Amino acid sequence: MKRVIKFILNGNTVSAEVESHKMLLEVLRDTFELTGTKEGCGQGECGACTVLIDGVSINSCLYPVFEVEGKSVTTIEGLVGEGGKLHPIQEAFVARGGIQCGFCSPGMILSAKALLDENRAPSDEDIKRGISGNLCRCTGYVQIMDSIRDAASRLSGQD
Amino acid sequence: MKKFAYYQPKSLKEAYGLMEKQGGNAKYIAGGTDIIWRVKQGMTEAGALISLRGIEELAYIRLNGDLALGSMVPFRTIERDSSLAKAYPSLSEAVSLLANPQVRNVATVGGNLCNAAPSADCAPPLIVLDAILTLEGPGGKREVPIGDFFKGPGKMCMENTEVLTQIRLPKMAGNSGTSFLKKGRVSQDIAIVNAAAFLVMEGNLCRKCRLAVGAVAPVPLRLRDVEGMLENQEISTELLDRVAEKVEQAVSPITDVRSTAEYRRVLSGVLVKKAIREAHQRAGQQ
Repeated sequence: MKRVIKFILNGNTVSAEVESHKMLLEVLRDTFELTGTKEGCGQGECGACTVLIDGVSINSCLYPVFEVEGKSVTTIEGLVGEGGKLHPIQEAFVARGGIQCGFCSPGMILSAKALLDENRAPSDEDIKRGISGNLCRCTGYVQIMDSIRDAASRLSGQD
Repeated sequence: MKKFAYYQPKSLKEAYGLMEKQGGNAKYIAGGTDIIWRVKQGMTEAGALISLRGIEELAYIRLNGDLALGSMVPFRTIERDSSLAKAYPSLSEAVSLLANPQVRNVATVGGNLCNAAPSADCAPPLIVLDAILTLEGPGGKREVPIGDFFKGPGKMCMENTEVLTQIRLPKMAGNSGTSFLKKGRVSQDIAIVNAAAFLVMEGNLCRKCRLAVGAVAPVPLRLRDVEGMLENQEISTELLDRVAEKVEQAVSPITDVRSTAEYRRVLSGVLVKKAIREAHQRAGQQ
């Protein structure tokens, strides 16, 4: 069955006709051409498909698209500001080597954002827990931890 | 990709109506983190999914000495509820150890129980705390003690049209303690073994004991024979060693991608011992 759904995508109200069996991931990538969000496992374990819905992180590969009606979705593209200015979390990942192949990075950064939005001064245990749903095959997580610690202090500096 | 229709009823009555119209072809969906994958893989057949997310009467936490928990409360809410954590620590811990943050943000206790995996993390704490489940359908309402709910791997006692609406826990006695432990390969893993304990102490003696283990039998398993070993006894190291041996005999684990039957058998005994010690310590702190 098809329906026109209406929701907020990276701050803009959008609508699209979508099919009932589609997950949010496919619709973001194919209908809205926002390919920053990746498909890794398709089963909610790797976190490459992580986006924020009303500020809360979810796996878009398992999120039925009809459920997004009226909600506010943030993808990695939504973190970039005017004139391509990177979000402080993105700047921290660049500065600390938290990105190698880049495939986990959109999901990892959005999980970091969800963590830091709720806890501005996370301990290392808090950070590990916050990214426990995001797998990285490249970095061994060391530089990712560094990046998130750095992001936390950048954001605290801003407050 | 398997195709299915997707409905979003606003009430239970509407949900039953949709379910009846679909014949045997539809399934209810809660957070979706189990069933969407099963449908994608062809492990569950569903021409239509009927979402319970829009049914507001299914999401509430009423803590009043005892607990009435709506089946559609997301784990996210439960793990952040400090009153619930204080009143029923083993349930709160199980929820906070389940999967990962993204899954916990949408998944529910109702969905975890109805998925009926032997490794369901919510099951052992609810078993040791004597949970009563309310099942509702077009034919009416019934209450099922959790001990009668699970029937086999992926199987439980509900009709296809029924919805698990509420989980009820009685008030915990004074001088009681409860705990939950889980071992996985990594933090977001399905349990290799999980275990829960509930003890009521009177001085040095254990007056009531409930023990449960998961992922080591066709269903989450209450260890009735082992419980008897602790009642009216002091909790000594020697007793706990005998308890662990009995647990090893009581379970029937399999070897799968996550672990071997051998390891699970030994780990069952170890986790139950640890769970008892922790519950005992908490009982003393009351």
